[in-house]
Amino acid sequence: MTGSRPGRLWGLVAAQAAGRGGRVSAADACAAAVAAVGVTGAWLSAADGGGAGHLMRVTDAVSEQLAELQLALGEGPSLDASATGGPVLASDLGAAEAAGRWLAFAPAALQAGAAAIFVFPLRIGAIRAGVMGLYRAGAGPLSPSQLGDALVFADAATLLLLDAQDQATGSPAPSGPGGQPAGLALHRAEIDQATGMLTEQLGTGIADAFARLRSYAYVNDLRLSDVARDIVARRLRLLRDPDASRDGEA
Amino acid sequence: MDGELLSETFVELTDTMVAGFDVIDFLHVLTDRSVQLLDVSAAGLLLADPRGELRVVAASSQAARLLELFQLQNDQGPCLDCFRAGQPVAADDLAAAGHRWPRFAPAARQAGFAAVQALPMRLREQVIGALNLFRAGPGPFDPADVRVGQALADVATISLLHERGMRRSDTLNEQLQSALNSRVVIEQAKGKLAERLSLDMDQAFSLLRHHARSCNLRLSDLAQAFIDGSETLTGLTAGASQQRTPGAGQARQQPPGG
Repeated sequence: MTGSRPGRLWGLVAAQAAGRGGRVSAADACAAAVAAVGVTGAWLSAADGGGAGHLMRVTDAVSEQLAELQLALGEGPSLDASATGGPVLASDLGAAEAAGRWLAFAPAALQAGAAAIFVFPLRIGAIRAGVMGLYRAGAGPLSPSQLGDALVFADAATLLLLDAQDQATGSPAPSGPGGQPAGLALHRAEIDQATGMLTEQLGTGIADAFARLRSYAYVNDLRLSDVARDIVARRLRLLRDPDASRDGEA
Repeated sequence: MDGELLSETFVELTDTMVAGFDVIDFLHVLTDRSVQLLDVSAAGLLLADPRGELRVVAASSQAARLLELFQLQNDQGPCLDCFRAGQPVAADDLAAAGHRWPRFAPAARQAGFAAVQALPMRLREQVIGALNLFRAGPGPFDPADVRVGQALADVATISLLHERGMRRSDTLNEQLQSALNSRVVIEQAKGKLAERLSLDMDQAFSLLRHHARSCNLRLSDLAQAFIDGSETLTGLTAGASQQRTPGAGQARQQPPGG
């Protein structure tokens, strides 16, 4: 409906990276979200396989405290977001509802200087990349447009975290110029279905299957949705060995 | 309108909406029943994602051409119009709707549809999505059917808010995003099962749904466990859901390119 939003926001992420003179990373998405969404601070933690994750970026001391409080207390919006797969939007930590939801965390977060907190699980279905949290010093909800922007920053952080994991394991980076992956502005069921099919074809986990799908599209200069459609229609199979040159027509 | 089927449907839907029910499974039942009750060929539910997209959350069929029609409506079409106006939108004859929707109308006709309708999923002043109905033959939609269709769209809205009640827009947005992510998990699991057992996506979905119900699991929890590997589904075979959903196990596989 508003096709320009992801492009505009990815531009802000790229500008953040350029400003510090580094490669675009998930930390840039986290930092860019603060001004663009209109919050006081943000943190980002990367999933580390079932554990609490490790803190990759905090934009201020309060953010760091909020992330660490949840680890120490074993409760809070990050844990809830991981459990439901959806964001946790607590626009007033002083309200009875928040206090009832997090008996220890809500007062501690208020004490630390946060009056509203918004946590976004960095997920694509079953793929878990981490969590991005935003906070405000004053209470108040995100506007619909701010929420939309926050979700797009969370999508960007998800993809960039997954890219970083791929690079750590030696696969080629599937992102295009400026770090923006092609064809992900619209969600398509075929991409999710093809990712699931690839776990069987390649004998890998879901995150690796998604990385292979993206890198195949990138290397062959194809749209992700077109590759996914060919896989779902069984016109294309990918082979187990990532170096195999025989990926192709089924 | 089959009155008995109608009352059975609403009993089924309210029975399904108990604690711990799976909203995606529920919305699929709702699209299936819409097809049976309302004399239409296909039905889908689209939700408005705050990112600025309409996203399919359930559909009566996984045919690629139908999914494509839902997707197209991010740019134009009855669902987008319905979402913007907050009112039902219908075209009795898509052959005459080329000016209104220059891309959508011909694509829908090519997919075999002659009439289309979109009914809003409304929550007070806010429109959160639409129920999209397609019919193979042209002609006006029966007003009685439209009322039932709107009731089904209202039930879909309520189901999304069921788990924790609707007190704040925060809650609605939490539930909406959680449902959208569940839908992605289920699509990923369908793909994995379809590949393993050489099924099409509709068959894989029926099998997952059947297994979840017979084991009293939430569909999205089963899908997540299957992808994580903690649920192996080794006992499942392509024919396992035949008893409950006749036809699901028949040779209905799409030829490549179909």
